[in-house]
Amino acid sequence: MKLRSSYLGIILLLPALAVMLAFVVFPTIWGVVMSMTNASLVGIGAAHPRFIGLNNYISLLRDSRFYHSLSVTVIFTVFSALIGQVALGLALALLMRRKDIKGKSVIATAVFISWVIPEVVAGYMWGSYASREGLLNLIIKALRLDRLGIEPTNWLFYKPLETITIANVWRGTAFSMILFSAALESIPNFLYEASSLDGASSWDRFRYITLPLLAPAILTDLILITIWTFSVFTMPFIMTGGGPGTRSELWTIYIYRQALLPPYEIGYAAAAATLMFLFTLVLIVAYITVLKRGWG
Amino acid sequence: MRKVKDKPLIYLFMALLALFFLAPFTWLILSSVDPKADIRFRIPSSITLNHYAKVLTGRTFTWIVNSSIISLASATLATLLSVLASYSLTRYKFKGREALVDFFVILRLMPVMVVVLPIMIIFARIGILDTLFSVILLETALELPFSVMIGSSYFETIPTDFEEAAMIDGCNRFLAFLRVTLPLSLPGLVTIWLLAFVTAWGDFLVPLFLLRTPDKFPVSVGIYMVFGEHGTVNYGLLSALSIIYSIPVLVVFLLMRKYLTKGIAGLAIR
Repeated sequence: MKLRSSYLGIILLLPALAVMLAFVVFPTIWGVVMSMTNASLVGIGAAHPRFIGLNNYISLLRDSRFYHSLSVTVIFTVFSALIGQVALGLALALLMRRKDIKGKSVIATAVFISWVIPEVVAGYMWGSYASREGLLNLIIKALRLDRLGIEPTNWLFYKPLETITIANVWRGTAFSMILFSAALESIPNFLYEASSLDGASSWDRFRYITLPLLAPAILTDLILITIWTFSVFTMPFIMTGGGPGTRSELWTIYIYRQALLPPYEIGYAAAAATLMFLFTLVLIVAYITVLKRGWG
Repeated sequence: MRKVKDKPLIYLFMALLALFFLAPFTWLILSSVDPKADIRFRIPSSITLNHYAKVLTGRTFTWIVNSSIISLASATLATLLSVLASYSLTRYKFKGREALVDFFVILRLMPVMVVVLPIMIIFARIGILDTLFSVILLETALELPFSVMIGSSYFETIPTDFEEAAMIDGCNRFLAFLRVTLPLSLPGLVTIWLLAFVTAWGDFLVPLFLLRTPDKFPVSVGIYMVFGEHGTVNYGLLSALSIIYSIPVLVVFLLMRKYLTKGIAGLAIR
């Protein structure tokens, strides 16, 4: 039985395809339509939304709160994903390769569990951990971190963006660690042996063997975690709700608040969501292209 | 290789890592057995299991039931639909098959926030907003791209020879699939089902947008709602609920850790 063209094949595909088209693709397009109306959850806009063209987009581009949420999201993504998760993930992956070190599996399991427990639970426990009388402040006091300028405080209130960023490193590092571990496994050992014979230092080996051979994995990792981190909602939402005020208001939280809090401007929120959709789409297409073309 | 004396440094680094990754769990575990649990960190003066007993009564139990219904139903639906689709993708050749695979990748990576807002309006119009059914539908649709990807990679590992042999022996294609391919792919189906189950089980965003009645909430939205009730929060109960709620996810992921690691490795090495 070889692969053959058949209507049966298409019929078998149809149910799954129909569900995805109806509940994912159609709503996405509907969202674009909604973004050009004054739809809202209450009032006139609720019963009879009116077509208003690109007005929502024009208002968005004049909305300083929208720009603020963008900059919050960019800071959150750059520091928690691009720097935090990649650096820490790489350090962890290198650590896991050391055969002479004991207790690695405890660390790996802790990193893994932080990644898989339900997001709401993660946000809930960080809510206590980072509070004024939480364990974090006790650790800061015990380790005398005030000497480094880190003072105990109500982290969620006074340093909300810093706190959700660090919490997201805690949450997401496992993925990069696993990805880099796999990539390191694929580097043949003889390269290291040969370079040792040539008298290379461990830094040289890292710089001239590990890093270049890891580059494709790092690129894959960067694109994927950028997509994911840009759309993070739950854990920061549970921890700070975007506040105090709008100080930790990520793009996703901004959309949620525009739509589900007064004045319930759904059309406006849909415009912000559409921009998010387009941005993500560009990244995903980049990801697919990179995967298909290989690494050049 | 030249020996570098970096062991003490590495162990110091590991101690900091252990602290960073384990410390946030401490309060969750302690407060769940502390009769006087509070948002503050404290060592319990006595230990109780009352919170755990209370989780299985009242509204917290209702939420566990709701989470179970949503996850069981959507995981089963997603598995059924994805088996058909993946079988088709691996056994038939048709125009646009390549494009379809790209399409699944796009859907799988698309932020849920983009979909959930318009679908709330659509579901309100057709009158199914604030029902478990609406949550089940959307969770299924969101799980499907990943389920199909797992299913396809599994069916690809099963040689078509067995099916052919069965068909020569007089089975039609459907029977050959049912008696030969399906039993062989059982581990793959279990994988799809379990991953879909934990995806729906842990989800917060979809039920947050689609449900309004507290009696219909799954555990995730329930925890959020109670956590927001400032002043009156029973943290002991909430922590015990969080732990019970995390157990199915932990069991599934720790069982499938090797499988997941292999899946992620596939992204790194091509």
